Amino acid sequence: MEVVVELFGIARARAGVARTTAEGECLGDVLADLAGRFPLLAESCIAGRRLRPGFTANLSGQRFVTGPETRLSKGDTVLLLPLDAGG
Amino acid sequence: MSSPIPGYHSCYLRIDLTTGAAERVALEEPFLREHLGGSGLGVALLLKEGVAAVDPLSPAAALAFVFSPLVGSPLTTSAKFAVVSKSPLTQRINDSLASSGFALAGKKTGHDAIVLTGKVPQPSILVIDDDRVHLESAAEFLGLSTGDTERSLRERLGTEFQTATIGPAGERLVCFATISHDGRHAGRGGSGAVLGAKNIKAIAVRGTHRPHWADTPALVDLARQLSEKSFGPATAKYRELGTASNLLTFNRLNVLPTRNFQQGSFATAAAISPEELSVARTRTRSSCAACTIGCEHLYELKDGNGSVRLEYENLFALGPLCGIDDPEAVLEACRRCDDLGLDTISAGGTIAFAMECVERGLLAEPWLRFGDGSALLRGLELIVTGEGIGRLLALGSRRMAHEIGHDSIAFAPQVKGLEIPGYDPRGLQTMALGFAVGTRGADHNRSGAYEVDFSEAVDRYNVGPESAHLAVETEDKAALMDSLILCKFLRGVFTDFFEESAEILRLVTGWDVTAEELRQTARRIVTAKKRFNILAGWTPAEDTLPDRMLQQALPDDARAQLSAERLSALVRAYNTARGWSSDGWIEDSL
Repeated sequence: MEVVVELFGIARARAGVARTTAEGECLGDVLADLAGRFPLLAESCIAGRRLRPGFTANLSGQRFVTGPETRLSKGDTVLLLPLDAGG
Repeated sequence: MSSPIPGYHSCYLRIDLTTGAAERVALEEPFLREHLGGSGLGVALLLKEGVAAVDPLSPAAALAFVFSPLVGSPLTTSAKFAVVSKSPLTQRINDSLASSGFALAGKKTGHDAIVLTGKVPQPSILVIDDDRVHLESAAEFLGLSTGDTERSLRERLGTEFQTATIGPAGERLVCFATISHDGRHAGRGGSGAVLGAKNIKAIAVRGTHRPHWADTPALVDLARQLSEKSFGPATAKYRELGTASNLLTFNRLNVLPTRNFQQGSFATAAAISPEELSVARTRTRSSCAACTIGCEHLYELKDGNGSVRLEYENLFALGPLCGIDDPEAVLEACRRCDDLGLDTISAGGTIAFAMECVERGLLAEPWLRFGDGSALLRGLELIVTGEGIGRLLALGSRRMAHEIGHDSIAFAPQVKGLEIPGYDPRGLQTMALGFAVGTRGADHNRSGAYEVDFSEAVDRYNVGPESAHLAVETEDKAALMDSLILCKFLRGVFTDFFEESAEILRLVTGWDVTAEELRQTARRIVTAKKRFNILAGWTPAEDTLPDRMLQQALPDDARAQLSAERLSALVRAYNTARGWSSDGWIEDSL
């Protein structure tokens, strides 16, 4: 299943894109797909099928998720963001 | 006076500006161990002064500049100081922090804090040179910006002096005036007005007293490790992008306060995002003294007039909150706030509130419209001159609403009088609790509850009382950081913050302090702030949010809805978790 991925902050800076698509049935699949295509993103934000400390994911602007086995649904957008929201 | 405890001078300097008397007052070890430094020590000193019930702009009010045991140590981000007083904006406790050379030089005067009471008859500069104290005329500095005052004063006194100054806003007692040092501000709650009311335009400090450390070799080693960690991924956001990078994230999550909290997203946010600003203009980085993070990102102004620091809070308050997407206007507004010595969040929040009042026909100021950058800039100037609508704007949104009437208080964007920072509480409901119970009002620096909302621990749209302890935890952590003092941008590098803080404090002071003791200390500090507020007239009805936020969902996100009943349940759970009565009273408070 193809899902839309939106990237913010450091994740965007490392990937060099604000938006892309990725393949996967669960969050871990999507992260692994992204890591394969964006090595700099992987270096900072993704370790295998997991997010590195300091990063989180959100489904369609609603629910925060980090577990690689988190199932994705058709139409989900995966947001990759820095965990630290302090300003 | 007994020999000082490592990390401390074991005394503070108390200056009565009315009589000119300066006195060294001993600080005993148990008192320091209970309150540490920074915010914690400042609140304790204010309670000792017995000033909770006095008018913060009267001569009887006290204002404390407070250093900490870590200031002057090799620990990264430790060059910080707290300014603690009763707030003229909220009439409650106010502790604001700022950084850099003033903290280092201030502590080198040989004091752990400088407490000011009384009032001098003429505008003056207070000079503290080790333990020598004198006043000089401030006549030539009146009306000058914070930066110009600092530059001129150091030309007069010598560059080894470090200064904390007020701008024209502080001179005119604007309720949200700041105290500035080296372009940074003890920003919130109007401590600049408190200093201005004492007729002090600036404080200049210089000293030769260096504290010693309990275990210098181990402290140096630990400081080196901490610095190395501070170069890592946990601080990458601050180092590479700055806090302004929150803008697009918050916009996407519909928690970016827009047009006076009427919306949670701003259609043209990208135009003022740091990503976009970096394309069109030069961006440089800077840092406070003794900091290895370097979070400050300065953006060039197009008029060839230098550059301005841009933080998320400035950006949201002077941009989306006022409906403004013109980058030049937002950057210029940031600069004017810095120059005038105005808290950007309260300035933007109050002007945005006024813009909505105009929109609703409650104010006859047709020029003051959402989206108009020149109106924002004009509003900032009027706040300081006090002309026209400026008289009302200078009071902050709560008092302004009381003067306007027509139930405008329902949409005044404040808690306890302090304008709400850039997190819409309807979509971040642990943060909503943090705002409601905050002792200095709606505050993202004293409660980091947004971190809970940005996690799987809660459903940010439907936070229940069982999660109140998570808000308590972030508040305790902030209280400890603000009292040690360490920069909050460092918090991500700690694995076990309380344990690692205990290790730091052991090496600095030689105390056999434990993580559990520091947890208790943090709780004591939060409770001391609450105690101050109770003495100042706090009632449980203050621990809430504006009616708008409890009656209307965000129009762009129907799930972002929080009822008064649900917030009230959260507040009760918070109070219980703190060990207070369910409506927030402390048994021994009176």
